[in-house]
Amino acid sequence: MVEITRSFEIEVEMIDNDHRRLVEIINEITQAIDDDRPEECARLVPDFVTFSKQHFAREEALLEKNGYPQVDKHRKHHASLDDKMKTMEALALNVVDSPAARDALRKELVFFMMDDVINEDMDFKSFLVQATSKGNETTDG
Amino acid sequence: MVGIHHAYGTTKVLNNISLTVPAGELVCLLGPSGCGKTTLLRIAAGLEQLQAGSVTIDETVIAEGAAQLPPEERRIGFMFQDYALFPHLSVLDNVIFGLFRQDRRTARARAMEMLDQVGMVQHAEKYPHMLSGGQQQRVALARALAPEPRLVLLDEPFSDLDTNMRARIRQQTLTVLKQNNVATLMVTHDPKEAMFMADRIKVLGDQGRILQSGRPADIYYKPTDEYVARLFGPMNMIDGVVEQGGLKSSFGTLALEDPTVVEGAAVRVLIRPEGIILSKGDDDGGAPVEILSAHLLGDSSIVRFKVRSGINSGSEFHLRMPGAFDLTEIGQIWARVDPRHAFQYPQNQ
Repeated sequence: MVEITRSFEIEVEMIDNDHRRLVEIINEITQAIDDDRPEECARLVPDFVTFSKQHFAREEALLEKNGYPQVDKHRKHHASLDDKMKTMEALALNVVDSPAARDALRKELVFFMMDDVINEDMDFKSFLVQATSKGNETTDG
Repeated sequence: MVGIHHAYGTTKVLNNISLTVPAGELVCLLGPSGCGKTTLLRIAAGLEQLQAGSVTIDETVIAEGAAQLPPEERRIGFMFQDYALFPHLSVLDNVIFGLFRQDRRTARARAMEMLDQVGMVQHAEKYPHMLSGGQQQRVALARALAPEPRLVLLDEPFSDLDTNMRARIRQQTLTVLKQNNVATLMVTHDPKEAMFMADRIKVLGDQGRILQSGRPADIYYKPTDEYVARLFGPMNMIDGVVEQGGLKSSFGTLALEDPTVVEGAAVRVLIRPEGIILSKGDDDGGAPVEILSAHLLGDSSIVRFKVRSGINSGSEFHLRMPGAFDLTEIGQIWARVDPRHAFQYPQNQ
């Protein structure tokens, strides 16, 4: 079970809400794995990938609007996650028949969320909190 | 761990480190001596005062600002490089030592259970000086795991073992850690050890910055910069400028994956020794080469050669190939590059 404790909040509502939704989907997927419902698991992975991409786009737009100086670096980081999302989709095709694929998928999802999404976002947390507290925040993407 | 910064005086040793270790997974910090990786373990364990950031285990914040839980209340197992077994205590009592909250009978049963898991139960009454390095390591692992920690920290756990023993012990260690479904954070300077043990690797560079974070395959096949690429040993290097989207070389045009690199940019291509392949015909393209030397290492050979023609004519390269290279049978040899082992970076990196 993945949970976003206070330390992992970015303290920008739109981003934290997206992160919580991503975590919800991960937990639904891992629950489906634990309950031996691999078909449900396979169905949810594309939802996770789609929502991740939408979240990345929203986040990049927000960083851009607030003038985050390293927005290109962060955009590049998001682009570098394409391979990992493709891996998840490929694993999802195998989860019905392969316990090893289920295990690998669980691992991919957790590290993706905590390391590649949330921990990387920590880099802009203080900038964005400061920028948005001045009333510059826009979430219309 | 979120946003960890640490400095000794004006020397920064950790710079904005954030990482997560899920239960049952092993995350490895890989970097040279002095890059701050042991400091990070000591901060997690509470042996070093946290200066900035926070440490959370499960849902409990154990260190943030001035509020820091003492080491004995963190439920963290720590295995040191030298194992740190108490010489005056038997193997069994070493393992029981960390179970001070339990009554003697329960503690003894748990210690014996852990010694059984690591295959040391028959040595329970011996003292550390009577054990080999590998056996001491297994006792240290049993001691670290006996109190059912939420997190285990391993500091260069195999560095004092000889090569054969190391391979066996690290497999056993990994098996025991996985059996216990414990989150593990390990530090090592040995990239192969990190590749073998880790679910995820974080490469630490100068001033304690994370340079790359990913699966072992990401670190090996997609190193994000020269430093990470060179962690696995000496590389072949070709410098040049981008022409028509690639770098011209004696091995043909090396395609550049980064679409942002502009025509005329100065780039460097690094090629792993195992990414150069010899053949007796030029059907696959490639460069004619002159073999300079071959050294058999056992399961592989290192072959040095010189390119005979083209842009890199006269330049020396080296490759690693499986088995022995037979110097008695060589005629004209060609070398080509496997693009999976060639990485491109700006020359000024």
